Amino acid sequence: MNIKITHNWLLEYLDTDATPYEIQKYLSLCGPSIESVTKIGNDFVYDIEVISNRIDYASLIGIAREAATILPMFGKKAKLKKDYLTYDRGIDNNSHLKLEIIDPENLCPRKLAIIMDVEIGDSPKYIKERLENCGIRSLNNLIDTTNYVMLEVGYPAHVFDYDRVKTGKIFIRKAKKGEKITTLDKKNYLLNSNDIIFDDGTGRIIDLPGIMGLDNSVVTEKTKKIIFWIETNDPKAIRRTSMRLGIRTAAASMNEKNPDSEVAKMTFLKGIELYKKIANGKIVSPLYDTAPEPEKQKMLSMKYEIFDKLIGVKIERDKINNILRNLGFEIASSSFDKFRTPRNDKQQSLSVKIPSYRKYDISIPEDLVEEVARIYGYHKLPNNLPPPANVQQPQELEKLFTITSKIKYFLKHLGLTETVNYSMISKELIEELNLNIRDHLRLANTISNEIEYMRISLLPSLYKNLKDNTGRKDIMRFFEISKVYYPKKNDLPNEVYKLGIGVNTDYFDLKGIVEVLYKELNIESDLKEKIINKDIFYLVELDLDFLIKNYQMIAPYKQINPYAVIKLDKTFTISPHITYEVIRQKAFLSKLLQKMDMVSLYENKLTLRFYYSSPNRNITEEEAKTELDRVIH
Amino acid sequence: MLDDKKLTKELINSLSSVTNLKDLELIEIKYLGRNGVINDLLKKIKEIPVGDRKEYGKKINQLKQEIKRLLETKRLELSKKKSDKFFDSTLPGKTYPKGSLHPITYTIEKIASIFQKIGFIRVSYPEVEWEYFAFEVLNMPKDHPARDDFETFFIDAPSDKKMGKVVLTPHTSSGQVREMRRVKTPPIRMVNIVKCYRPNWDITHNPMFYQFEGLCIDRSINIAHLKGTIDYFAKEFFGEDRKIRLRPFHFQFTEPSFEIDVSCGVCGGKGVDCHVCKSGWLELAGAGMVHPEVLRAGGIDPNKYSGWAFGFGPDRCLMMKTGIDNIRILYNGDVRFLEQF
Repeated sequence: MNIKITHNWLLEYLDTDATPYEIQKYLSLCGPSIESVTKIGNDFVYDIEVISNRIDYASLIGIAREAATILPMFGKKAKLKKDYLTYDRGIDNNSHLKLEIIDPENLCPRKLAIIMDVEIGDSPKYIKERLENCGIRSLNNLIDTTNYVMLEVGYPAHVFDYDRVKTGKIFIRKAKKGEKITTLDKKNYLLNSNDIIFDDGTGRIIDLPGIMGLDNSVVTEKTKKIIFWIETNDPKAIRRTSMRLGIRTAAASMNEKNPDSEVAKMTFLKGIELYKKIANGKIVSPLYDTAPEPEKQKMLSMKYEIFDKLIGVKIERDKINNILRNLGFEIASSSFDKFRTPRNDKQQSLSVKIPSYRKYDISIPEDLVEEVARIYGYHKLPNNLPPPANVQQPQELEKLFTITSKIKYFLKHLGLTETVNYSMISKELIEELNLNIRDHLRLANTISNEIEYMRISLLPSLYKNLKDNTGRKDIMRFFEISKVYYPKKNDLPNEVYKLGIGVNTDYFDLKGIVEVLYKELNIESDLKEKIINKDIFYLVELDLDFLIKNYQMIAPYKQINPYAVIKLDKTFTISPHITYEVIRQKAFLSKLLQKMDMVSLYENKLTLRFYYSSPNRNITEEEAKTELDRVIH
Repeated sequence: MLDDKKLTKELINSLSSVTNLKDLELIEIKYLGRNGVINDLLKKIKEIPVGDRKEYGKKINQLKQEIKRLLETKRLELSKKKSDKFFDSTLPGKTYPKGSLHPITYTIEKIASIFQKIGFIRVSYPEVEWEYFAFEVLNMPKDHPARDDFETFFIDAPSDKKMGKVVLTPHTSSGQVREMRRVKTPPIRMVNIVKCYRPNWDITHNPMFYQFEGLCIDRSINIAHLKGTIDYFAKEFFGEDRKIRLRPFHFQFTEPSFEIDVSCGVCGGKGVDCHVCKSGWLELAGAGMVHPEVLRAGGIDPNKYSGWAFGFGPDRCLMMKTGIDNIRILYNGDVRFLEQF
């Protein structure tokens, strides 16, 4: 997820002499990635990628905190302004209204709420501009406040119209299957029993918490009283509901990453302050904070040598401590003492207290290594190749890759075109090639019928290639080498490599390709693959494993025959009984026949050329003729 | 008895004056015809002492082969003789077939060979995989977002008690623990290049794509080794002038984790008004130091060994290298695209 903040807004929290482009460059190297800086008017907008475990910097304050640690590493001045988290804790006495918050299943661990009298209107210009520059539409001061404090402090906030909630009650429960809601953008959704909702105590749903407000309870231009509200959520529940309904608001994206409940509180107080400032807000109820028992601050201990081992250079111990301190970690104990060299370097260890906003993402020593290494600067580390090691590649893999490559280049040089198709195909295509759907693995959650079944043959795809390209090219010869997937009971499928070839020429063209491939690979075996005819196309599929097993790197050596070769031509009339193959088998019964070529075929007249010779002596033409006569006439 | 040298000389002499095929044919009859020189010599075999006949026969045979060779050479010479007609040497040469390979094939080949040179072996692990290898052992708990329906394809098949459901592997990292278990004791130097799948099909995503995983485990492997390896790769693959940088990132199965950028080849890393890159850099890969939990799952003691892993898309490398700007064209089988390569 990305957030946008502006430079001038950042300067309210950060005192620095770095330019926006320096900030972009240095922060990207050591912390949040700033994908772009755009100048708008006299301000600059940063577009910042928030990585999933660092929701703590998805805010102005979070970025300021990172910047204050990172920029000084590059010689830039950068300090958090002292007042960066000041807010007015004072609660007005005029608290005559009450709110009833009921959460029997504790679905939202922390609930923060307050009722305020407000005056709706436009936000001040600077708020409007900042929100718009950050990609958020400015609506009115009541809504804008929630967005503004979310960006500034880092927790999604919500505002209800107190009068539209009607009952003064917020009852948190799971939805019933089939319940309907209309979100504030007037879209309708159907809920199921995993979704968490707020109900006003009468069964009327008034909010889809953590994701989006509902039309029946949001503020309108008539709003006089609001409930300003923040709750903490179960991040998994948020993600599940938001993904299923397709409501991907900024609030949902943040809440599913489990932001810190302390940040919720800060955001809440900042919001109250802003309502007072820009909406003439007056508190008219107690401040509700149903925080669970505060967690004990997490600690982490580790040996210093782990830093050296993983980073690859030795960083001074006091530098490590400083980096961690600047990031908000408290050094609880450190056996390192810079004025005394400890006897055993390996024994030096460190123990830190983890700040609340980092409690979920820091849990093992390697996490602290990352913090230190990134701030120290990956760019300062040398580029070293790993030490050499002799690792044996399994022979069958070595063969697979070399022979596959050989086949690919050979077919290419013959003039064929390699295609790479999706491993998943449609039901229609399977049926078109007369394969059985039930022999295929099916995707349970496909996103298109085009890619629903795992191939057990490459031919449907090749057929599709030929069909799709008809009209684009006259002569087409395609091949693909890919895996197919044969289902196995209670196990992973058998993944087998196949070579598929498809042509729009003719049967003998395709047969010739396979024959010459056999020759190229020195395979001494008869063709066993069946050529299929489909429409005007011819297709064949070969088992790559068979080719690999029968492949010979170098053709078997035959002595050169020094004796004369007698060439004889003969024409046969072929028929279902006398096929080329029948003739061939008969002819090769002769021990003197070395080779047989096809010369021509005219209608059913087949002319063949026979090469007779003996490895021991010169034979006469007569001998050869006698041999040939034994073949059918 | 048989002066073969003289005969050959005579033949060469008479051939030198031959200018057409007809004359050549006459000479052929003279030497090889029924009553030609060779047959004459054969007939004389009766006059040779029995003991020498074998030797004599062999000599005649050799002579005959030599005569044939000379005649054939002359015939070729005559047939190639230029005619007096205009010879346009600017005409195109004869057309030979030149097919094409998918550009991803060249890319994978190049990548594998770059890594082979520094001792990394290429392996291949399943595309249809158990959740166990795709997620569980990679420190990705059951409720991790990557494991939900929106991020991973599931196969409609019963799940296994230990191994979980069957998925189409969404990343090559599934091969990490398989390789650790195969090798058992480091060193490990592996590259795994296979098809991966994710339920995402739009202008910038295909539901199938290639991924390329590198894994290096040994005693005292550190971040500097990862940097060095990626830097070597970027220079070999993209060019000597390219630079890389590591940026902090997050993956469940590495700690620390990085994203790796390579400097843009179009603007030379300047990033000013470049239509290709964001600010001079292009995202190349995700990487990191192998998480101790992952090493443990592979049966490797994280206190003794450490390692790094990276994964990136050859599809993307290919596009970055060639300027192919439309990812959908890669696997839709359009011959007008395929035959270019």
